[in-house]
Amino acid sequence: MRRYGPAVLLLLTGAAILRISLFSELYLRYVQAGLRPYLVVSGFLLVLLAVAAALVGRPEQEPHAEQGQHTEHGEHTGRDQQREHGEHDKSGDDSHAHDQHGGHHSPRVAWLLTLPALALLLFPPPALGSYSAEREAAQRAAQGVGTFPALAAGNPVELTLAEFGSRAIYDSGRSLAGRTVRLTGFVTRDDDGTWYVTRLLVACCAADATTSKVEIRGVDAPPVDAWVTVTGSWHPKGALGTDEAWPPVLDAASVRRTAQPANPYEKR
Amino acid sequence: MENQRTVADGLRIAVRALVYAVLGGAALIAIATVVSVLGPMLALDLYTPPVAAWWTVFTAIAVQGVPFLLLGTVVSAAIGAFVPQKVFSRLLPRNQALAVPVAGAAGVVLPGCECASVPVAGSLMRRGVAPAAALAFLLSAPAINPVVLVATSVAFPGQPEMVLARLVASLATAVVMGWLWARFGREEWLRPPERHTDPTATGLRAFTAGLQHDFLHAGGFLVLGAAAAATFNIVVPRSVLDLFTGSPWLSVLLLALLAVVLCVCSEADAFVAASLSGFSPTARLAFMVVGPMVDLKLIALQAGTFGRSFAVRFSSVTWVVAVVSSALVGWWVL
Repeated sequence: MRRYGPAVLLLLTGAAILRISLFSELYLRYVQAGLRPYLVVSGFLLVLLAVAAALVGRPEQEPHAEQGQHTEHGEHTGRDQQREHGEHDKSGDDSHAHDQHGGHHSPRVAWLLTLPALALLLFPPPALGSYSAEREAAQRAAQGVGTFPALAAGNPVELTLAEFGSRAIYDSGRSLAGRTVRLTGFVTRDDDGTWYVTRLLVACCAADATTSKVEIRGVDAPPVDAWVTVTGSWHPKGALGTDEAWPPVLDAASVRRTAQPANPYEKR
Repeated sequence: MENQRTVADGLRIAVRALVYAVLGGAALIAIATVVSVLGPMLALDLYTPPVAAWWTVFTAIAVQGVPFLLLGTVVSAAIGAFVPQKVFSRLLPRNQALAVPVAGAAGVVLPGCECASVPVAGSLMRRGVAPAAALAFLLSAPAINPVVLVATSVAFPGQPEMVLARLVASLATAVVMGWLWARFGREEWLRPPERHTDPTATGLRAFTAGLQHDFLHAGGFLVLGAAAAATFNIVVPRSVLDLFTGSPWLSVLLLALLAVVLCVCSEADAFVAASLSGFSPTARLAFMVVGPMVDLKLIALQAGTFGRSFAVRFSSVTWVVAVVSSALVGWWVL
């Protein structure tokens, strides 16, 4: 195990990265979509390194065998010498052993890598949901009031929550007026019973997630965390660009349960 | 006599082994039963939304860090294996006071986030670069490379002065820290990055060995930092932020602290800063200047590479210098 430790660690990490990026789309739960090629390349590189580590271990074995013999002699000649040699075999945190021969053992702290690797291989953690969304106040993208490019044609028009929110609050051209829009997200609720379609926005990885949400009126709330597609029309409220306009409101015509999309987050 | 003794010894050993086996076996069975009955119940009870969110944030930081860490270790292993010992001492000015700004400006060339720069700085030191210059590079590389500056301009549309302010404040911090190290730094704080391969070994073999060791070592510390960051992410409520938006000075300090605990990757922190809309531009600048230079993940990585006594001193001084520099630049530019 000691000899193959680095190989095992590299293989585990590489396999975990490949499992979420190449063999499934699970990586979207953790990082933004653009990172996929880098993840696939890193996964392959790590597996290659693991193979190299397992193979290279062999020729470098010779000096070890020699030391092993010394150890046996050491038992007869003196404990100090034996201890000195024994250290090679027992060293886990082998800053010492490294000075003497190649990147042969793995540093002890490296075993921490098994934690995320095994988690990803065996029980991939779920995407962030209502718990994270409710922990922080939803933020509206800061921008000035102005005109927006025309909305795509068609009714209903499919919009991200961020896009709907910024048009509802900052568009002096009122491009949302008179349009039917369709939004997808998960359900969150306030204590007073108002409910929202919510989506987390991720720029790089799930650690930087921020929330955007749209209040839904006219239809009873589905259970919290359920994914829904809501079709309806914009309900203007408050003056443009003020706090009263926040959060944006949608008068819902229909609410349909849906599966969690492959990418649970919106790109910021 | 001898025989009797061996028989008695053998008997004693056999009895002892039997007792151990029975006791150990019983204990094992008991433990297995309890675990198999209580385990699933306990696991379900413990797997609450906060715990699930912790795991997600933890793995997300680790996953996101792996490609950048690998890039950094590839560069650092390549420096170690293929770049001759004397190249850097020839390229950099002999005078340390001059070498520091040159190395700081050279940070432009490493298009990665902060995970990548720690192993590279370590390998630069091993290749004979003065620690002060290598440290200036370590601080500036994740903050002023083109990828990060473009991300900043995307996050703050119509505010090119924010990009300029970030560039100036980050570079100033890096250079000042390099000079401070050249003047006050002591060698014994810095545990020189271990030499993990034979110094004479070069070429592919040394490259692979160096890559393996560096990645595993730094990867372990990345995981440690990710765990700390995820814990703060879950434990500290964001509503704390709203208390401080009123006072301009407190808000600078608060966002500088937030940058340390959130550990947002330097390529993404501009977006987070942009979303902190209640804060003054200077406070947001401080968030972006401190983030790539001091955060929990980075402190863990530095402690692993250069030693704990270095990481603590260096990070705390860097934090102060970064806050002062972003306050000055913010007051001047923004």
